[in-house]
Amino acid sequence: MKQLKILGQLLLLALIYLLGNQVARLAHLPVPGNVVGIILLYLLLNLGVVRLEHVQEAADFLLRHLVFFFIPVAVDLMNWGGVFYRYGLALALAIVLSTALTFLGAGAIAQWLEKDGASCTD
Amino acid sequence: MILFSVLLTVGAYLLSKALYLRYRHPLLNIVLLGAGLVIATLLALRIPYQSYVPGQRIMTWLLGPATVGLAVPLYRQRSLLRRHRREIFAGVGLGALASMLTAGLIALAAGLPKDVLLSLLPKSVTIPFAVEIARIHGGSPGLASAIVVATGTLGSVFGGTLLTWAGIKAPVARGLALGTGAHGQGTAMAFMEGERQGSMAGLAMTLAGITTATFAPLMVRLLLRH
Repeated sequence: MKQLKILGQLLLLALIYLLGNQVARLAHLPVPGNVVGIILLYLLLNLGVVRLEHVQEAADFLLRHLVFFFIPVAVDLMNWGGVFYRYGLALALAIVLSTALTFLGAGAIAQWLEKDGASCTD
Repeated sequence: MILFSVLLTVGAYLLSKALYLRYRHPLLNIVLLGAGLVIATLLALRIPYQSYVPGQRIMTWLLGPATVGLAVPLYRQRSLLRRHRREIFAGVGLGALASMLTAGLIALAAGLPKDVLLSLLPKSVTIPFAVEIARIHGGSPGLASAIVVATGTLGSVFGGTLLTWAGIKAPVARGLALGTGAHGQGTAMAFMEGERQGSMAGLAMTLAGITTATFAPLMVRLLLRH
């Protein structure tokens, strides 16, 4: 019975994903269908059309094993070995610098706004 | 062959997960370890990549519905989202733009090929978004996912120290930075710092994916206009 319930929830998630894909395609959005799907499900949950108990077991199950789905994607790496050999240093530099700046930018502005907001409301 | 691909991938996942849970070392990344095992097996049995593709398609299709499921934690945390909406939108927005812009500019300066640059742009967002963003704009899903893992590993090992060094101590800000800069791997670290940091990081991870996907077309046009 529980498996059947999760299967039904999985179908609902798949349906919303397909809907997201169609919306992105038909509206010529330059945004992936899965992003449209998330926004769609978030709106449906807020509007009360879909309730948490309609999707949460399947969502939690998939998210718990999300890493599994990343593995077949990463197998594509076997076609890209040469890129690391040729551009490894530049790639590493870009990743390190850009990641550090992302952390500092996001953290600094959030901390600044939080202090600012606290002084207004307290 | 499809059945073989699926079984091989499931086996690689279980083995690398067991290894990770046993040693808990951040460099024992389940994605890279699992993919490495699959690749090694394919090479050892002289199976070409093309034969793995049909099984790969089926497995990665489920990534779509799984990603849509990210709306569930977002909805559960909606009161937190509302309470800190200013910090969240500013932090995630600035972080996501800084990530794409700096990665793109460095790639241009270093003369990286276009498809590598496009795979580098979504480096800070979680794999399902990064893969789709890279694909839409002409990058490589596999390369993008490896870059995402490299970013996440780096961010989860050094992110906390960097934030402390820069004087960023507020739990909300730290969580936001970890989720925006290092997606799921950063979120895991944020949860180790505390519940609030972790919840903020989870929100930031999903919102950074949405923001990056939304602004990537603009960024691509800006960086590759010639």
